[in-house]
Amino acid sequence: MLKHSLTTITLKSMNNVIYYLLPFYFRKFSDNEIIVNEIGDYLIVPAGTSQRIVNKQITKDENVFHDLLSNYFISLTPIPDLIEVYAVRLRTKKAFLDNFTALHIFVLTLRCNQNCVYCQASSLKEDACNTDMKIEDLKSAVELMFKSPSEHITMEFQGGEPTLVPNLIRFAVEYAEEINLIEKRKITYVIELLAICKKYNILISTSLDGHEKLHNLNRGKTDSYDKVIAGITKARQYLGFDKVSALMTTSNDALLFPKEIINAYLENDFHSIFIRSLNPYGLAVDNTDWEKYSSQFVQFYKETLEYIIELNKQGIFFVEEFTTLILRKILTPFPIGFVDLQSPAGIINGVIVYNYDGFVYASDESRMLAEIKDYTFRLGHVNDEYESLFYGKKSQIISKSWSTECIAGCSDCAYHFYCGADPVRNYSTQDDMYGFRPTSMFCKKHKQIIDYIFTLLSERKEEVLPIFKSWINNTCG
Amino acid sequence: MKTLFSIDIDRQIFKDEVISKTVYWQSADFVIDRKVKSNVETITFQTSNDNNSKIDIELVMSKFNQKLNDFKLRQIIEEETKDIRTILYVKAFANNDNFEEYE
Repeated sequence: MLKHSLTTITLKSMNNVIYYLLPFYFRKFSDNEIIVNEIGDYLIVPAGTSQRIVNKQITKDENVFHDLLSNYFISLTPIPDLIEVYAVRLRTKKAFLDNFTALHIFVLTLRCNQNCVYCQASSLKEDACNTDMKIEDLKSAVELMFKSPSEHITMEFQGGEPTLVPNLIRFAVEYAEEINLIEKRKITYVIELLAICKKYNILISTSLDGHEKLHNLNRGKTDSYDKVIAGITKARQYLGFDKVSALMTTSNDALLFPKEIINAYLENDFHSIFIRSLNPYGLAVDNTDWEKYSSQFVQFYKETLEYIIELNKQGIFFVEEFTTLILRKILTPFPIGFVDLQSPAGIINGVIVYNYDGFVYASDESRMLAEIKDYTFRLGHVNDEYESLFYGKKSQIISKSWSTECIAGCSDCAYHFYCGADPVRNYSTQDDMYGFRPTSMFCKKHKQIIDYIFTLLSERKEEVLPIFKSWINNTCG
Repeated sequence: MKTLFSIDIDRQIFKDEVISKTVYWQSADFVIDRKVKSNVETITFQTSNDNNSKIDIELVMSKFNQKLNDFKLRQIIEEETKDIRTILYVKAFANNDNFEEYE
């Protein structure tokens, strides 16, 4: 009896290894825990494992010990031998910061020939010509764009409906090309105008909300669907199939049609969709019960994703792009370009907006606030110095609340690597740039969606992982 | 404002940061009063909602305790790893310091 006890003690002491903690975060997950390290690598472990890790109770003979060691949750030395590799991986995750602002949005006019129920851009009737951008402001905006250090610049033309001012699109593109003869940057354009598109290799992104009934309902029109499909067909014939993409917005009515929306995309030969929720900006603010909408949207997202997974299992390649962005953050070492899910935030760092009136805003959503006379995120005018716009006092104030690593409620969250900081949304929905996570719909929605993705990855791994990998490998982030 | 219940917490066991973070997540639903006497902090949950009967006090207390322990665990991790975290960030971004300060 005594001998047996001694043997047990000896074995235990052999298996006990002194280890050191590395930074990690945890969250309850079904009957388990999900633990995430400082670069977003995750492990799903039995409940109570975080406590055992901290109490130094994990022994060498447990499989989880080696998982923790190889995934930078613990180290056998105070500073891990592979700290340099770990630092490079962290640097890579934040590589989206290296080139600073890459997406430059030009709001050429507020005039629009549509009447979308979910419009967040405060569009006006077609005859409101006083909202067209002045040529001299557009010229200054293009010049400002070239002061950005980014090697790859995207010019995006928005409105209103930018094709109502083809002269401005032509001027902006040709002036950018003229400057670029010297600058030699790689420019991607996103607009709608075929002749110019063909000449300058421009991509087209257009709204397509789903099937005919829904698309027309969202616009209060009877022929909008037919027109947009005819336009897509024409543009594809003229420019090439891959030059045209579509974007849907989940209006209240759309919540009822998850399968019909996907089927409409398939019928029109699209192989991906971005399930995009309504945003609480501009005119859309008063048209929706946001609390109710937010929970309905998550349910809609899950139903739509299930249907898309089912299609993929049947051999139909079709990508849900929002899921793919989060998967890219979870499963790969690389950053993504999507400005809503970044920390530091995508505003200013990734995107800037030159508004029709010549003022410069931190993001597309920021200029939408300006339409209700709120100029909190107005950085200055296109005639101001580049430095005062991008690094000035306003930018510095905004920067205090744009990192999930630093703000209350986010910095402890296991999902903060997969999520993003959004001072504009916080301000818009909570009257405070810093925001308050316990009542934040943004926080609640993303936690539910990320929980769901992890549930799929853990409970249906064999079924979904090959599909998810094909999405990551066949799209760019 | 109606008082629902109070909890006494030993601040030698749970530090101020831990209690503050726990209270933060409860403050969407309740007005929370904090009073410290010696090493004991009394947390009082209040509500302005007249319909108190719908609040499951046991559940709220249970969740509070659970969060308190979770944040204590996070605090230990934070304290034990803050230096290595700093080293990691310095190594990752130190070569990027060749920018000019803009006033």
